[in-house]
Amino acid sequence: MEGVFLIAALTSILSVFLICLFLFVNGIPGMAKIGVFNFLLGTEWAPTDSPASFGIFPMILGSLYVTAGAIIIGVSIGLFTAIFLAKFCPERIHRVLKPAVDILAGIPSVVYGFFGIVVMVPFVRNYFGGSGSSILTASVLLGIMILPTIIGVAESAIRAVPESYYEGALALGATHERGVFFAVLPAATSGIMAGVVLGIGRAIGETMAVILVAGNQARMPTGVLGGIRTLTANIVLEMGYAADLHREALIATGVVLFVFILMINLLFSLLKRRQAR
Amino acid sequence: MTKNILIAFPVACAIMIGMIGCNEPLAFDKKREISVVTREAGSGTRGAFVELTGILVKVDGKKKDNTTKEALTIDGTQAVMSNVSGNEYAIGYISLGSLNASVKAISVNGVTPSATTVKDATYPIARPFNIAVKDSVSPLAQDFINFILSDAGQKVVEENGYVSVVQGNTYEPTKLSGKIVIAGSSSVSPVMEKLKEAYLALNPNVEIEIQTNDSSAGMVAAKEGTCDIGMASRELKESEATDLHAIVIARDGIAIIVNNKNPLKNITMTTLREVYMGAIRSWEAVVE
Repeated sequence: MEGVFLIAALTSILSVFLICLFLFVNGIPGMAKIGVFNFLLGTEWAPTDSPASFGIFPMILGSLYVTAGAIIIGVSIGLFTAIFLAKFCPERIHRVLKPAVDILAGIPSVVYGFFGIVVMVPFVRNYFGGSGSSILTASVLLGIMILPTIIGVAESAIRAVPESYYEGALALGATHERGVFFAVLPAATSGIMAGVVLGIGRAIGETMAVILVAGNQARMPTGVLGGIRTLTANIVLEMGYAADLHREALIATGVVLFVFILMINLLFSLLKRRQAR
Repeated sequence: MTKNILIAFPVACAIMIGMIGCNEPLAFDKKREISVVTREAGSGTRGAFVELTGILVKVDGKKKDNTTKEALTIDGTQAVMSNVSGNEYAIGYISLGSLNASVKAISVNGVTPSATTVKDATYPIARPFNIAVKDSVSPLAQDFINFILSDAGQKVVEENGYVSVVQGNTYEPTKLSGKIVIAGSSSVSPVMEKLKEAYLALNPNVEIEIQTNDSSAGMVAAKEGTCDIGMASRELKESEATDLHAIVIARDGIAIIVNNKNPLKNITMTTLREVYMGAIRSWEAVVE
């Protein structure tokens, strides 16, 4: 019986290993052919021109900008929601609110994208200008998408803080708000940060929703109302037709994305360890 | 606290619904920026579009696609259509065969895109799908060509969104066997694959190999005899036409589409090129 469990455990490790192997074996030669600096720092992406250029710097920036926007929106709303759910919310409302947040996590990303393209893109176009497909739209949409991740992790981190912290603050004459914000919240910081990092991971890896609302222009960002192409969008958009070096360049884009995700996961486990201590 | 939430929740809902409701736009505003919609790099439709409109510039063997960097990049014909139908200020292009009423196809240089204008080559953004053979064609390859040009073959062409070119030929399976090698344009090969399937259903003893590269390579292969039939998504060049003779098997038109609310009915080739190269940014210069 033990063998069965072992095989089950090995399956996932093997998957990770195989994916790593596939990415690096297929991606690194392409990156080498283009030149690592030309690839990572090149600002021109024109795979069908001859000579072709394969610079993914605009896409790296695109992913970072959209993720940063999502974090600004997602963390500010998510953190306050988590504080409310953990410390202010009456049981009656909690019973409704918590499942509602969980449903948000279960909505498929293409549905978010559809909502984005039907509701948010025209809204931004009509009230802010531009084509509507922009960094702003993508950031807001991603901000909403990462809410459940941030709320869930942050709420449990706040609840994990011993009740004595809060009671101690009250005993010293602090109000309820002051006790929560200045005694409980600082103690939960590393847990909350872990939630934020998980949110970043989700935002940077998100593809379907972003592709529908971001405009996907492969050029340096021009402003919050201009569009942008993310790393994930670059792969999905062009994979269908790509051949030869173009294809290798897209797999190499995947390698860059993978390295980003690895760094984020590393950061997450560091924070987790600090919280455990 | 609880009371505040009970008030805040309906208010938030009302704002959300308002947001959705307010998206109904007013009249078409000419001063707005054009949302140029293009396909992703590598797409056959984009390749044909930039080549036929002169957006793709070729100098000394170098090719540069000058589509404006501001263009929204969208994968797939359907996605382009849904984007244009949802954005009053968008302009896009799709294969003529996929056009439906959700968007409006505009005339180019005064010619309406339709199967008729593509067939008689008056619509400018259209190209022939050619096959090229040497004068001495193997009986089997000739049989396949007969099939392509028959009503059955041309029906396959139309089913895949292209425009048929000939009518009235009938095809009888000849029960030949052997192998045909076809090479050339990646734009022609999808429809060639379908023609192959239909032909093999009638002639199960035949084997057909399709090598997809590009028009020029296909012509060279046909000339050198490494393939029986070459495919080209363009007219043959003079140097190629001396050894080969071309047969048009289908035509492909690309329709320029705008939102149904857009008053634009016609666009000149020059204006279209300038829009796609980013020289014209506002609808004012396009819509009179």
